[in-house]
Amino acid sequence: MDHATLVDRLERILGPGGVFHRPGDLLVYEYDGSVDGAVDTARPAAVALPTTTEQVAAIVELANEAGLPVVARGAGTGLSGGAVAQRGGIIVSLTRMDRILEVDREDRTALVEPGVINLELSETTLPEGFFFAPDPSSQKACTVGGNVAENSGGPHCLKYGVTTNHVLGLEVVLPDGRMVWTGGRASGGAGYDLTAAMVGSEGMLGIVTKALVRLTPQPESIVVLLAAFGDMDAASHAVSRIIAAGIVPAALEMMDALTIEAVEPAYHAGYPMDAGAVLLIELDGPAEDVRETTDEVSTICRQTAATEVRMASERAERDLLWKGRKMALAAMGRLAPNYYLHDTVVPRSKLPATLRRVGEVSKEYDLPIANVFHAGDGNLHPLMLFDRRQKGSVERVLEASHDLLHYCVEVGGALSGEHGIGTEKRDYMTLVFTADDLAAMAGVKNSFDPRGCFNPEKLFPKGYMCGEVRALRAQAMAQKLGIYAL
Amino acid sequence: MPSNHPAAATERSPSVPVAIDGIVPRHLIAPADAQAVADTLVTAASEGRAVAPVGGGTALGLGNVPQRLDVALSTVNLAGVFEYEPTDLVISVGAGIRFGDLQAILAEHGQTLPVETPHPSHATVGGLLATALSGPRRLGSGTLRDLLIGISVAHPSGTVTKSGGMVVKNVTGFDLPRIYHGSLGTLGVIVSANFKVLPLPRSEATVIAPYTSAEAALDSASRVYRSALQPVALEVGRIDEEWLVAARLEGREQSVRVAAQEVETLLGGHVERFTDQESARWWETYLAPQGIHMGGDRSDVLIRCAVRPRETARLVAAFSQVAGERGFAISYLACSVGLGTVVVRGSFFEGGTRDALQGLQERLLAVADHVTILHAPPDWKQGLDIWGRPPETLDVMRALKEQFDPQRVLNPGRFAGGI
Repeated sequence: MDHATLVDRLERILGPGGVFHRPGDLLVYEYDGSVDGAVDTARPAAVALPTTTEQVAAIVELANEAGLPVVARGAGTGLSGGAVAQRGGIIVSLTRMDRILEVDREDRTALVEPGVINLELSETTLPEGFFFAPDPSSQKACTVGGNVAENSGGPHCLKYGVTTNHVLGLEVVLPDGRMVWTGGRASGGAGYDLTAAMVGSEGMLGIVTKALVRLTPQPESIVVLLAAFGDMDAASHAVSRIIAAGIVPAALEMMDALTIEAVEPAYHAGYPMDAGAVLLIELDGPAEDVRETTDEVSTICRQTAATEVRMASERAERDLLWKGRKMALAAMGRLAPNYYLHDTVVPRSKLPATLRRVGEVSKEYDLPIANVFHAGDGNLHPLMLFDRRQKGSVERVLEASHDLLHYCVEVGGALSGEHGIGTEKRDYMTLVFTADDLAAMAGVKNSFDPRGCFNPEKLFPKGYMCGEVRALRAQAMAQKLGIYAL
Repeated sequence: MPSNHPAAATERSPSVPVAIDGIVPRHLIAPADAQAVADTLVTAASEGRAVAPVGGGTALGLGNVPQRLDVALSTVNLAGVFEYEPTDLVISVGAGIRFGDLQAILAEHGQTLPVETPHPSHATVGGLLATALSGPRRLGSGTLRDLLIGISVAHPSGTVTKSGGMVVKNVTGFDLPRIYHGSLGTLGVIVSANFKVLPLPRSEATVIAPYTSAEAALDSASRVYRSALQPVALEVGRIDEEWLVAARLEGREQSVRVAAQEVETLLGGHVERFTDQESARWWETYLAPQGIHMGGDRSDVLIRCAVRPRETARLVAAFSQVAGERGFAISYLACSVGLGTVVVRGSFFEGGTRDALQGLQERLLAVADHVTILHAPPDWKQGLDIWGRPPETLDVMRALKEQFDPQRVLNPGRFAGGI
């Protein structure tokens, strides 16, 4: 199918305003939120902006007819290249499917279209006494559909869990163009948990056109503690002590001196400029519980050499403390023109050693690294600051990242806690998984998308999905059975 | 099985007498490690035999009548604790570990997996994952699905694969652990699993109030559900002819005491309160009749129905009506308010037949979204899909089965839609 015919056919489905196809219009869709250099950019043949599930299905059918890949996209805030059309084809941008269709207090659910903005959902349901728990830092822009695709986390998933813990059912357009529901309002449906398969599948198994999500009741009382420490070691020690005391805060976040240096002058959140590290500790629940836990946590912080402990219980004060944390990435521009944000997870007990390693890498590669992360989960976010215009800087950043990833995996960590694999980390998959492990994942992919047309070139190591999966499995099987010598 | 097969080098013999729906497998194997499980599956595949993974044997009656059954594969030798770092709040265990043993190990460090099973001293972690049965606590703490962070599985291709890991947040690859959860051993044999664990609550209390009718009980329970109080379990139960509401509260001592008082006010009338150990014991007793293998009357039927939570009261009424029409005597009913599920144990007045069971299932499917026959006499289950209505994505599920177990070695026919 030539380009003109493709555009014409898409316009017949979506109307002329529902298709972008001129190079200038496509430019922004060559990227997502990830760093140019860590992730390749690519131009789609066209961008389709459907407003209904039926249109999504029609686009998929057309793509099948034309033999083109399909890449679903939300707000494009992803950090692993997931929404970039590596092999061209059609990008299905779901931002115009942005209605909250239903909020049900009794069921404690919301039925939303994929383009609904994460924060908007919580803001809509807060007056009813509920919120949508996953709260990635990009929540002012990112979409629920994107959250589902990446299984997004956020500060509050320490207590409330990540996206997969809050999705009850999904309306999905499958790679063959069929519309189906997985899961639903009633629990205990028959068969495999395909909702679980869909969440975090990075757009490789289906396109979510509606999501039925769980709403969490707003706790009676919320307190945010700010605790300042001389260095990250002392702060890490406090984190361990809090967890060891049997306390699960709603959120437990750490920021280092460099982050404070960027954030405080920009947002005046009230972080002490002379601190080596600060912890933001949110405690929520019944008022009586929160009061006692606040005392206990404050005591632990003081015992672990906190230089200052401050408490915010009013909404405006709490929001201000959080603002600094949530806007940390945006503030980094004050320190350097570019940054590369990492996302790795290590077992909580390995945090202090890992942070020391981050410090060493910073020195070895002569790269300033800011740390702003989910300490309670062991989910690190080292931010490497650099200037792309300096020759060799991107390469240095990538090498430093490579070192860090290796270290995190060695201490029992994972490649990504919440940003996904996409193209950014696909070639690292063999660091944590064997060929057999990957073959099992490929089995899931093949069940949904045997022709590999949904978001190709993602998650699996480069070249992996091109037929050799079946060959590898057949070979392994044959060897086990002793059918023939290879 | 050839006797020199590695899997035959049994360390411990499985102690459970194994029969699934009356079918006794010819071979009972207890492989010594994960790779031996995979090797057993390969051998079975090459000989065209069907394998049923077996844990504690407490839920063997769950599923359709097996199409074939030759080998019972016990996980009794896969019962170790591989890694436990209390400060990380994670644990990695073998699939064969008894749930009660695991809880005891965690409790030594003031931690727990906040889920429940009717037979904690027998049920294994692998079995709980494969069957995905949950209890009243799901309201407040979710299920094992929410706590599962990693898994290792042995496949009929002879491989042992892992997914997830030992960290609490992880998006490295597809979420296979949650696909295996609830797959009734039809995709592979779970050999080990990693969980995120939680601190034990510092105190707990349960408030119980009796009622003379379902309506009154449901009405009271819904007042608690809509309040700011957040019980971890909230049930309307019928035990013989008595109705009750039970609310379980957890947290710090003082706040649990305050919340319990508020619940008592909302429920009104004559209430009882149990705290800590007594509270926990009350729930064990309450949950016991939900055990699939309860022993006792062989004509007992155990059914679970689910609707959206706002339809819960309607479901309770509809179930009672259908039961009356169909001559089904309810001996136990547990309704989870806020979750929309009802679990019922009972038997047919006239002794029951296969047709009577099928008729009951069909009628219930008209009033509930999902109907699962958790237990029934095997001859009544013949030709019946106990999982109820096949899902609209059955073809994708069949494709998954084809990818993971193309020769249908594992539990053939027992899963939804005859998978």
